[in-house]
Amino acid sequence: MDFYLGLIQIIGVHTLLGLSAYCVLLTGQVSLAQAGFFAVGAYVAGMLTVLAQWPLIPALAVAALVSGAVACAVGFPALRVKGLMLVVATVAFGEAVRLFFFNFTYQIQAGTLHLGPHGAEGFRQIRYFPENGWSTLDVVLFIWTVVALVMAGLWWLDHSRVGAVLRAVGEDELAAQSVGINITAVKVSAMTVGGFIAGIGGGIFAHYTTHIEHAQFGVVLATFAIAYPILGGLSNVFGTLLAAVFIQGFLIEGLRFMGDWRNLLFGGLIVLAMNVRPRGLLDAGTTRALRRLFAPGKERSGA
Amino acid sequence: MRRLHAALAVLLAGSMLSLPGSALAQERTVKITGFGAKSGVVRVFGINSEAAMKAAADQINKTGGVTLGDGTKAKFTVEFLDDRCNAEEGISVVRRIASTDAFVAVGPTCSNVAESLFGILQKKVGDASDSGLQFPIIADVAAKGGLAKISEWAFRNVPSEFEMYKSLIAWIRKEHPNLKTMYGGVEKDFAHSNATYGVMKGQAEGAGLKVLGTSEWLLNDTTFSTQVRDMKRANADIVAISAHPFTTCGVLKEMARQGVKPKLLIGLTSSSSVETLQGCAKQAEGIIIPTSFAPVTPEAKLAAEQVAKFGGSADLHSAAAYEIMFILKDVIESQKIMAKPDTVKADRNKMRAGLAALKETKGLLGKVGRTADREAIKPYLYVHAKDGSWQVLYKPTL
Repeated sequence: MDFYLGLIQIIGVHTLLGLSAYCVLLTGQVSLAQAGFFAVGAYVAGMLTVLAQWPLIPALAVAALVSGAVACAVGFPALRVKGLMLVVATVAFGEAVRLFFFNFTYQIQAGTLHLGPHGAEGFRQIRYFPENGWSTLDVVLFIWTVVALVMAGLWWLDHSRVGAVLRAVGEDELAAQSVGINITAVKVSAMTVGGFIAGIGGGIFAHYTTHIEHAQFGVVLATFAIAYPILGGLSNVFGTLLAAVFIQGFLIEGLRFMGDWRNLLFGGLIVLAMNVRPRGLLDAGTTRALRRLFAPGKERSGA
Repeated sequence: MRRLHAALAVLLAGSMLSLPGSALAQERTVKITGFGAKSGVVRVFGINSEAAMKAAADQINKTGGVTLGDGTKAKFTVEFLDDRCNAEEGISVVRRIASTDAFVAVGPTCSNVAESLFGILQKKVGDASDSGLQFPIIADVAAKGGLAKISEWAFRNVPSEFEMYKSLIAWIRKEHPNLKTMYGGVEKDFAHSNATYGVMKGQAEGAGLKVLGTSEWLLNDTTFSTQVRDMKRANADIVAISAHPFTTCGVLKEMARQGVKPKLLIGLTSSSSVETLQGCAKQAEGIIIPTSFAPVTPEAKLAAEQVAKFGGSADLHSAAAYEIMFILKDVIESQKIMAKPDTVKADRNKMRAGLAALKETKGLLGKVGRTADREAIKPYLYVHAKDGSWQVLYKPTL
């Protein structure tokens, strides 16, 4: 049972990572900076609980705010460019963050132990969950409460005027600008919200794995971050969740019994999924069909 | 008809009587699960560990298997899971193993994975306020110093690199007093190589060698011209390379290309493997590496042959996995582990207690000491690459 609960924890953390990229993708921007924001959140939250002995929730809140602030600061210069140039700019930012933590050492002595980030060797002993007696189920409930809150927030945002503005910018920047939308403000706001969510995800990730190091926050993680919403579909937040379940639950864990073949199948199945469902696993058509199935009245009135 | 029935009954009874001894003994198996990297740049370590565990299990099974707590004999089977040298996957793999009847796991390959998953284990045994996983793990490869300290459920059978390099540097100072300077090269983004370089450098400075500088590169790097140029400029007597076989070979080839010829070359323990010789035997000629394995005893020779039969090669890491299987057999027998589904929790506690109580184990090169913080003190020797093979250069008296 513990194994499945652990897997559900991983899926929750990766869903947060994917949702951070979802916000940015809604505005039509492809950002590979999410791993950097995730790293900032991980290190800040870890340092607060381990070095400053803060409780977890305030530590996560501060981690989210710091990551959001970093994302906002990065958003202004980075979002002046678009398309492939933005991809390059955000990869560069992510690598800069990773290299910062690669060289970042800040340790304090606690008895015979040295605690805190130690450059390339990483940051160990982030044991808030076990040290405070949290069972695996407690951690699952905590992570999924956070995921549910974030998804509810994004769902509301998506169905509000703000969501319409985000999607308008994503669909056609010129048209959006012509109706008076401040493109820069919208993109930077999306980046900030994405950074905020990545910060929460990173903070939880640090406490889940108990040890973090620069190598965990590289381009591979950044690619996973945008793969979740793209593979899942951008029609609503549930697509990202579905993709996280598909990748983490099925491709990584479900196929583990296949040994060496798993790595080959991993890429092949993603390509297959993208070909079969080019607009995502949960695209607008599927969402409409599901709505018709589960709430036919609502669908008619909405039509 | 009655006679026929009676004959059948006698036959059945006879066959039933003959079953318990042989059939039940054949049925009892104890699965030992190993895990480590079987993908990516360091996949060879996982492949070798799996082969070594299977080879050792085969040896144990050939000599009758393991005696369980209820007196029955069981055979070892080995399963090996890939964690891709990824901490999240390592945690997931261990949770998967811990959700079965397994009472111990062997692994991981990578120190960064060990850091994370030793962190999810209960720190102190019996601490009710700590909800960490209560499952014994014994590491064969993860070599970064001091990892077992993280949890009382964590054990290692890896050599102390601190002792090995301390001894090697002292030996070099004695044997080559004319060598005064050293230049270092380190695979900076890998926990093991990075930490071990700290040991090499510290020992060199402590022994009076002047360290002229350090070049850094990454595990996935393929070009080393800038780093080697700096090395050439320093013109040190000794070059110490703390890197795994893949980049060690890259650097050695670049050194050959740029004509960098130090008077003495030192390598990382993990590079005293067949992969280094396959990749760059010519350029590695003369490199000195301390290692806890070489086929110099009858047991070690047999282990090397057996591991090769199972598709791996014996080196200091896979030899540790081989030894671990024998350690587990001894602990199962001494602690009377039952290996039954209803005794899993008790078996895990017994296994942990048994491993913690060990003061000494049998190693392939001789006796292996065990420390209070669950680490091994393994015998070692210095090997050097000569004529395309690893040959013993010196065996220190311990």
